[in-house]
Amino acid sequence: MNPEPFLQLDRVIHEKGRLAIMSLLAASAQLSFTEIRETLGMTDGNLTAHMRTLQESGYTSVTKSFQAGRPLTTYSLTPAGRTAFTHYIDLLEKIVRQSKPK
Amino acid sequence: MAMETNWASDHLQTIRTLMERSALYGRALATVRLAVGLLGIAGAVLANFLPLLSPRAFSLYWLGFGAVTLTASFLLVRRQALRAGEPLWSPPTRRITSALSPCFFVGLGAGAHSWVSDASPAAWLLATVWITAYGCALHAAGFFMQRGIKLFGWLFILAGGVLLLFGPAATPLHSVTAAHFLMGLFFGGFHLGYGVYLYFTEKARSQP
Repeated sequence: MNPEPFLQLDRVIHEKGRLAIMSLLAASAQLSFTEIRETLGMTDGNLTAHMRTLQESGYTSVTKSFQAGRPLTTYSLTPAGRTAFTHYIDLLEKIVRQSKPK
Repeated sequence: MAMETNWASDHLQTIRTLMERSALYGRALATVRLAVGLLGIAGAVLANFLPLLSPRAFSLYWLGFGAVTLTASFLLVRRQALRAGEPLWSPPTRRITSALSPCFFVGLGAGAHSWVSDASPAAWLLATVWITAYGCALHAAGFFMQRGIKLFGWLFILAGGVLLLFGPAATPLHSVTAAHFLMGLFFGGFHLGYGVYLYFTEKARSQP
């Protein structure tokens, strides 16, 4: 098996928690902090740390607004984040394909 | 190497599951169903004390009650969103609204026709159209919600089909009072039953 696809995997996305966040955001235009936290069962601190890493990598963007007087923080994938996520999935599929008997 | 590829397959499966979950509507629906059920039963009981004996009065009354029920449901969902600190008009909510709209529009059209037309169809027939259209609406919305909603929709569709098939011969159904009973049974009783079921299962699911 060619190990190259495995070595090319994006380490930012590859972490379990961040991969889950990226997967959720890839299927929705935007999600609030609470929605992500509830869906993944993460703690506030854990999610905040992962979101910071993703933002620093340019993969997610944050929007802060107010809804009925309450602060609302929503996240979405940036074009770079969507490209990186697609590339990550392509690599995973390549790894799986390589293992299948021809 | 085999372990590595298993891991890759597992990751792909996880991604797929999470993407599907993200697209699903996640509001707790027990409260909404209970409210709709109680309003439906209240509507049917109240109708017996009012002089609503023509198909036109029947359609106007239930169109009004439908508007009240929709407003109540909207306010309950809005309250949930505000409490959870989540946007009300989220992508799943938009998908659900889009799925419900065509069948709701059919129901509205049938009711409006019965209201404005001189040759109003029988009240039981209008109730049957509403029951069937509502079932179709739930079934369409069920593609973006938990599986139970689709089955609940099928219950209405099947009941509507049976009523359409046997209704013309079932003369006891042809009174306006019987049509009120149908509305109370399906929009009240069925929702109340489903609401009670959801109340316990949603509670159980949310526990760690």
